Amino acid sequence: MHSVIRANAWVALKLPSGSTKVLQITPNTTISLGKYGTVSSNLIIGRPYHLTFELQDKLPDESFSRLRVVPSDELHAEVFAEEAAAGCSTPAAAAASNDAVISATEGEEFSLVDDKGNVIARSNREVIDENARQTLTQDEIEELKREGNNAGKDVIAKLLLSHTALDQKTSFSLAKYKLLKTKKYIRRFQVLPIDVANFAHWQLEERDSSKIMDMRAEMIGLVGCWGNVHFGGDEVLLPDPKASTAQGDDACVSVDQDLLGGRWLVVDDTCGLLVAAIAERMGVLYDVDGSEREENTEDQNGATTGAEEGATGAEHLDLQVRPSGPGAAEQGVDTEMADPSPSPTKRQSDGKFKQQQKPRPSDFAIPYSQTNTITVIHATSQPNLSLLNYWGFDITSPNHPPHPLLNHLLNLSWLQLLKPELDTSYSTPPPSASPETLASWKPSRRGNFHRKRRRYARIRHIVDSTRAGNFSGLVCASTMDPISILRHTLPLLAGGAPVAIYSPTVESLAAVADCFSVPRRTAWVSGGEPEIEGLSGEELERWQGNERFPLNPTLLQGVSIQTSRARKWQVLPGRTHPLMTERGGADGYVFTAWRAKPAEGKVAAKGKFKRRKVEVDSEATTPAAAA
Amino acid sequence: MAPSTRTTISPFLDPGPRTIPNSLAILQLSRDNLQPVYLQTPTGKHDGYAEGAVVNTRYGSFPHSTMLGVPWGSQIRASKVDTGSRGRKRKRGTDDDACRDATPAAAASEKDNDDSAAPVNEDSAAAVKEAVADSSGFIHILPPTPELWTSSLPHRTQVVYTPDYSYILHRIRARPGSVLIEAGAGSGSFTHASLRAVYNGYPSDGQPKGKVFSFEFHEQRYHKMKQELLDHGVGDLVQLTHRDVYNGGFLVDGKSPEAEAIFLDLPAPWEALRHLSRRQPQTANDSTTEGKQTEWVSPLNPKKSAYICTFSPCIEQVTRTVSAMRRLGWVDIDMVEIANRKLHTSRERVGLNLNFDRGVNNSARDVEEALTRLAEIETRFREHAAKPKTGGGGDDDEDMDSGDDEEAPRRSGKTGGTRNGGAPAPEPLASSSSSSGTPPWMEGRLITRGEPEIKTHTSYLVFAVLPQEWTDADEAAAAAKYPVGGEQVVIGALDKATRKKERREQLQKLKLEGSRKARRKERDAKMGEASG
Repeated sequence: MHSVIRANAWVALKLPSGSTKVLQITPNTTISLGKYGTVSSNLIIGRPYHLTFELQDKLPDESFSRLRVVPSDELHAEVFAEEAAAGCSTPAAAAASNDAVISATEGEEFSLVDDKGNVIARSNREVIDENARQTLTQDEIEELKREGNNAGKDVIAKLLLSHTALDQKTSFSLAKYKLLKTKKYIRRFQVLPIDVANFAHWQLEERDSSKIMDMRAEMIGLVGCWGNVHFGGDEVLLPDPKASTAQGDDACVSVDQDLLGGRWLVVDDTCGLLVAAIAERMGVLYDVDGSEREENTEDQNGATTGAEEGATGAEHLDLQVRPSGPGAAEQGVDTEMADPSPSPTKRQSDGKFKQQQKPRPSDFAIPYSQTNTITVIHATSQPNLSLLNYWGFDITSPNHPPHPLLNHLLNLSWLQLLKPELDTSYSTPPPSASPETLASWKPSRRGNFHRKRRRYARIRHIVDSTRAGNFSGLVCASTMDPISILRHTLPLLAGGAPVAIYSPTVESLAAVADCFSVPRRTAWVSGGEPEIEGLSGEELERWQGNERFPLNPTLLQGVSIQTSRARKWQVLPGRTHPLMTERGGADGYVFTAWRAKPAEGKVAAKGKFKRRKVEVDSEATTPAAAA
Repeated sequence: MAPSTRTTISPFLDPGPRTIPNSLAILQLSRDNLQPVYLQTPTGKHDGYAEGAVVNTRYGSFPHSTMLGVPWGSQIRASKVDTGSRGRKRKRGTDDDACRDATPAAAASEKDNDDSAAPVNEDSAAAVKEAVADSSGFIHILPPTPELWTSSLPHRTQVVYTPDYSYILHRIRARPGSVLIEAGAGSGSFTHASLRAVYNGYPSDGQPKGKVFSFEFHEQRYHKMKQELLDHGVGDLVQLTHRDVYNGGFLVDGKSPEAEAIFLDLPAPWEALRHLSRRQPQTANDSTTEGKQTEWVSPLNPKKSAYICTFSPCIEQVTRTVSAMRRLGWVDIDMVEIANRKLHTSRERVGLNLNFDRGVNNSARDVEEALTRLAEIETRFREHAAKPKTGGGGDDDEDMDSGDDEEAPRRSGKTGGTRNGGAPAPEPLASSSSSSGTPPWMEGRLITRGEPEIKTHTSYLVFAVLPQEWTDADEAAAAAKYPVGGEQVVIGALDKATRKKERREQLQKLKLEGSRKARRKERDAKMGEASG
């Protein structure tokens, strides 16, 4: 993750009111912060995240307000003052507190003191409607705001001073009043990076929480950990078969089981948030290389063209791209084949993309890594992973700029997984043509030809490798019935692989857990299901279930359901308590288990059975089980 | 990457397809009963067992030989192991609990005995007795994960459990490639979870990789932990240091770990916090550090924001920690506590017509059932009253008999299912379940309820962020690089429709800037769709 705000990056702007704006920071634009004013995007690009900026008053000869980084001491000044007053901290606090800040405890008159010098809080009786006591009119406040006013601090100070009943406020209510006014008038903001935690929080609290199935941070953490999602090994690419255009599907590289590793199976109905969280845990969400590359080129350009770089950026790129356009047309080669890289030095400085750059891979080359991959199974013909756009990945883009997800994210539909023969793109053999025929075609037709071949090879690889199974884990957040998901995905999991299913409500997960209940498993093991008589272990794994046994109950071990909730606290000197209100709605539950490999044949349990009658039974069954 | 390097990768990070010798495995005895075991190749008699090393549980005895080379997740049958002739006068069958205690010790001593990795081949170990499957009893063998390890590890201190560490690691942005400082390694549950989070390959040829810098004050715990990390094959990913971080700070060999994520599980986090700043804090409360002023090195990565989490059980600790954080420049300070609940699912079976199994509530299911029953009794009573009296004490007997008559066929039908469970012939069960409609495991209403005992408080988690330093010189450089004045468009405060339109245009423009080829390709694609 990047620590410096990059041009065109998505960021979250946290405003004093507590609301967040998520924006793409385009260079040379003005960012509106609503009532807090406007700021030029170039003033925050290239600066670190997490700093708090303050909009300064416009200088007489400038048309924009410059920014000031607010030191953290100033952010915490009020707390320091309180601590100092309470005498519970070092005297350094007083020095740190800013003069411009009016503290609730600075003046004795704000709180009542009895004869013995003890502070007693005021009763609420005397607190009167604030507006009634505010002598400044709305017009006057507006006037103050228009004037240069020290980032809103003057307005706040004046408002406090013009409040006639200020001395009647308790220290608590004064602090509250001040906080209220500060939130409204202080012209500050903070820039946060768009990572999964920040983004999910914003989407949950301020956007559409149903879009991400009310998935809170606790749940993202739990699902990731119980799914044992982690970096799954360095990238391994299959060798390019170097198939000529005349060769058909027999030239495709077949899946090599031994190379596959560190793969996670995902069912995601959270528009891509779950995939993003998993990708983050696997280290394939952020385009680190891309950023370095960009910064490098920026440095090259920036040094010389500095001033006009932003304004003429588009032209620059145009100039660079130009050779490729006509060049490709003249040579009459497939658009993909001729890619005179705009600036060869730019990409070759980075090792990873060299392979892709040098010779163009053949149509049947598999671009996907064999390890550290996410396989998304989707219920529609295209996966809905729209939220990945915030991390610069667009699954629908045909010619995507480099992004780590490109060769680590595989997606296929349930049809392709379960009935690939019905899927056109999987079952239609790729077209083939001799180089001569190919040369006689128009470029667009040729492009189509190559695209079809490439698509075929990719889909074939995805489907075949997924059906080969041995996944390292299954992670779900889906609106579909989890039982049906498990029925088809359990056979694909490696032994001991974890299963983690998120659901906003508990009912569907309880139904899954019930499929693995002890009585059900006991009945299954002791021959309670005539349908499975004589089936082999392999057949039992793929057993399609019936009403009494929706799933083979021996395929999962350690079935458990849990829920987690983080309770937020306010920590202030003398005022520490849990927040009064928090987001309600769906609690969120996580189902966890491990894929088991049941032993072939009958297995009897050992142990002291509590029920007298059954003990007699177990004695009776033992010889049968042993036989 | 290649299969050849697999053996060196920790089983926590890549367990491989099958169990291998000298590696950690977790035995799942029952749902919440987990036991870690280092599997040993049998090389002869071991601890009195002819089969080599054996794990004894209440579910039977399991020689290691039966658990080696099997796929992970396998169900392992118990073996017939002669536990009686080891000098203990105990009969087989009652061995369960007594021998269980011996297991950890046995596992530990086994490690010393055979450190050379003998081949799994059983023929080589001629003296080893072939394990014979027992008639009953089984366990499952699972690959180690931080979650399993956390619930099975030998406790040395309070453990940071999964609900807490999963949230913490998410919040402190521990990701592949991060460098994480952990102080108070304790029992090592957080260490394992965090090393999994930051792991992006083993360090080689000087490339920076994700790493955990762990500090432990307690010497014994440090040594145990050190051994554990080696046993788990993660010695290269965790740098464990024996140190009092309050006084010693976080530098390793005088060098900065360049951390970007910090987890402090210490009794007094504020004492350690002063070492975790960008510059030497001015308000350092003692004079010991003054001499080193010139050479003070920050343990943090100067180019990244640092995320911290402290883990303290008491509110007083939190207050002091937060106060110290404010003074040291931390922002976005946030305190939460995690409440985690496990839920058990079961079938709630209420009804007069159900069997007398455990967990069945034999009272009326609903008003109708109660009504029917009452009416029945009432009718019977009336009939009885109407009958001419013949004998003295026959009343009660008769009543009971009739009740039994009514119950008997039902009960035999129902319980037949569970009782005949293991019977060789499945026919009676099939017929019984079909006659009664629902099999016993589907009767009643599916319910979830909490555990009998819940953890209501683990600790308070304080989160904060320390932004990187930003000097006037940095600002001047950035200002020169991104000069202001060329603004043409306003973003952010427009209404939704305009914003969407803008976004669309922006994307369009980006694509245009990116490459013309892309546009052409897109057009081609559309044409292809139309024609094909």
